[in-house]
Amino acid sequence: MDSLIKIDNLHFNRNGRAIFTGVNIEIPRGKIVAIMGPSGTGKTTLLRLIGGQLRPLSGQVSVDGNIIHRLSQAELYRVRRQMGMLFQTGGLFTHLSVFENVAFPLREHTQLTESMIRTIVLMKLQMVGLRGARHLMPSELSGGMARRVALARAIALDPDLIMYDEPFTGQDPISMGVLVRLIRDLNKTLGLTTIIVSHDVPDTLSIADYVYVISGGNVIGAGTPDELQKNDSGELAQFLHGNSDGPVAFHYPAPDLATDFIELSEGNSNL
Amino acid sequence: MLSRRIVETLVGLLLLAAVAALLVLAFRVSGLTNFMRSPGYMVKASFEDIGQLKPRAAVRIDGVTIGEVTAINLDPATFKAVVSMRIDANMDHIPDDSSAAILTSGLLGDNYVALTPMYSETFLKNGSTIQYTHSAMILEKLIGQFLFNIHKPAASAATPAASKK
Amino acid sequence: MINRIADIGRGGLNLIEAYGKAGILLYRILFRWPRITKNFYYVVQQIFAEGVLSLSIIVVSGLFIGMVLALQGHHTLVKFGASMELGPLVALSVLRELGPVVTAILFAGRAGSALAAEIGLMKATDQLSSMEMMAVDPIARIVSPRLWGGFISLPLLTLIFNVTAIYGAWMIGVQWLGFDSGAFWSNMQSSVDFHVDVVNGIWKSVVFGFVVTLIAVYQGYFAEPTSAGIARATTRTVVYGSLAVLALDFVLTAMMIGGW
Repeated sequence: MDSLIKIDNLHFNRNGRAIFTGVNIEIPRGKIVAIMGPSGTGKTTLLRLIGGQLRPLSGQVSVDGNIIHRLSQAELYRVRRQMGMLFQTGGLFTHLSVFENVAFPLREHTQLTESMIRTIVLMKLQMVGLRGARHLMPSELSGGMARRVALARAIALDPDLIMYDEPFTGQDPISMGVLVRLIRDLNKTLGLTTIIVSHDVPDTLSIADYVYVISGGNVIGAGTPDELQKNDSGELAQFLHGNSDGPVAFHYPAPDLATDFIELSEGNSNL
Repeated sequence: MLSRRIVETLVGLLLLAAVAALLVLAFRVSGLTNFMRSPGYMVKASFEDIGQLKPRAAVRIDGVTIGEVTAINLDPATFKAVVSMRIDANMDHIPDDSSAAILTSGLLGDNYVALTPMYSETFLKNGSTIQYTHSAMILEKLIGQFLFNIHKPAASAATPAASKK
Repeated sequence: MINRIADIGRGGLNLIEAYGKAGILLYRILFRWPRITKNFYYVVQQIFAEGVLSLSIIVVSGLFIGMVLALQGHHTLVKFGASMELGPLVALSVLRELGPVVTAILFAGRAGSALAAEIGLMKATDQLSSMEMMAVDPIARIVSPRLWGGFISLPLLTLIFNVTAIYGAWMIGVQWLGFDSGAFWSNMQSSVDFHVDVVNGIWKSVVFGFVVTLIAVYQGYFAEPTSAGIARATTRTVVYGSLAVLALDFVLTAMMIGGW
């Protein structure tokens, strides 16, 4: 299997708390890979580690043979031109119009003439269906449209890899459908290797070729969507089916209910 | 978002305004006029006491500024203060027997050099020295003299015999 | 008791850490400035945002401060029979102290807070992160032009403030209190020295511009990426900026008068 990204025995701490304890992930070239897991397991952190915005405690992330945390700033920036990343909030530049947002990476990294930039920007906007919205400012866009503009910007430089951070969160069914279609189309037509980070089970499973489920700092399940669906072991099954109780308890750890109430009634609670 | 041309123009105007402000500060406020005026010519005058006179103080005739003090030195031989002055070049008809005095503008103001023209047919020129000078009026000295003069008659009246001898 | 001492220790460490972070930020701003020709326009844009847009408040404040100085100065000087000295009084206090200090404090309030809020908001909405992921260094592209813009703008604004304040005083002194205009200017000229008074005031504003803008970009860049964090960063910019200006003003004045 030809892997674009290899993550080997990755450890990462934040504020003294372990986020990853020995994660191994491989992302094959040209596929859609979903990384799933409950909120707060560090899925976004994983994307930032791949993008080189954070440094691992130990272990390594390699993209196309480059070990990310050993690269110099200039080399890292060269590798990043092959990556697009779609942030949860979109991250559009609020002081620039839709057109200028998409044109931004082109203006920064290429010496193209104004008419060529215009052609490319309109092409990318056409792909996400927002060619008509090019004069709007980001504040005038709906959440779904903002994500599509951000997507157009992320693919402006024709990257090899695109990472989506929670693309489906807070979308209405129509824009959800639009995004699912866009992610699949871009993967098929441009051969983009795609990483989707999400906790939205049905939509993610519907488009992913391969799925990793992370919880508690480790990969707890990996496989094609069908393989995962058949797996009914503990935490993985609880996550995929959305059961409210299971290995991950409904209650936040607390003292026994009875003792808690007795303490309160005796008036020596330290609430 | 303003167009690039407008932004650049306005920034250019800000720069121009700041340069204009600097020029006003230089020439209007601080009187940095050395390179604006004609060089003029230098004259000297010796004084017994210059009081609070400082370099760059004004040189005036009838209250009109015609030059400035450029340097103040002490003559090591005579122990007199030598004040060098630059007089505007167009003021080239000041009689050479004019007198110079150090006066104060107002009660607490700055000292300046006042020239009083006389009637000579020859004029001050570069390197001339003004012969007749009046030193600065020093308030302490005046008071001291005044007190001394009050005491003298009183003292002589008290001991008439001794003073007669 | 032990806790208090521990708090002091922690406070000290945090302070040192903050200075360290500011130093590293400054290093990155100064030494990562790629493609100077391209970035030049970004600096011009920032001079516009920080300088041109602050101009109105600077001019209005300058005018009023000059006018008040003339009234107050006249009122006091007249008692000593020294009302001739109104010009020097106004010019010296404006050039040496009020001009640089008041302009810097107004600048911290007008441009500094806007800078901190802008950078903090870009951070909170992932604009800086997405820029980084597009292989564009946000320090070179966003922070650095803002620091240079402030550094250049403040001395320019100070010059304009000085002149407006002196003309404000002239309006009151000559037009209202009936001074002779010639005496006003000539007394001023005979006691104001270009190098000692005007140039030293400009040096002060250069230092203030640098410090106030560095505080602003630092607060913005390291702001907690939440609404409350941005609000705190804005407040801190104004408070720390003003305090830094006043403290530095004392140090600089001591240096200039002490003849260092």
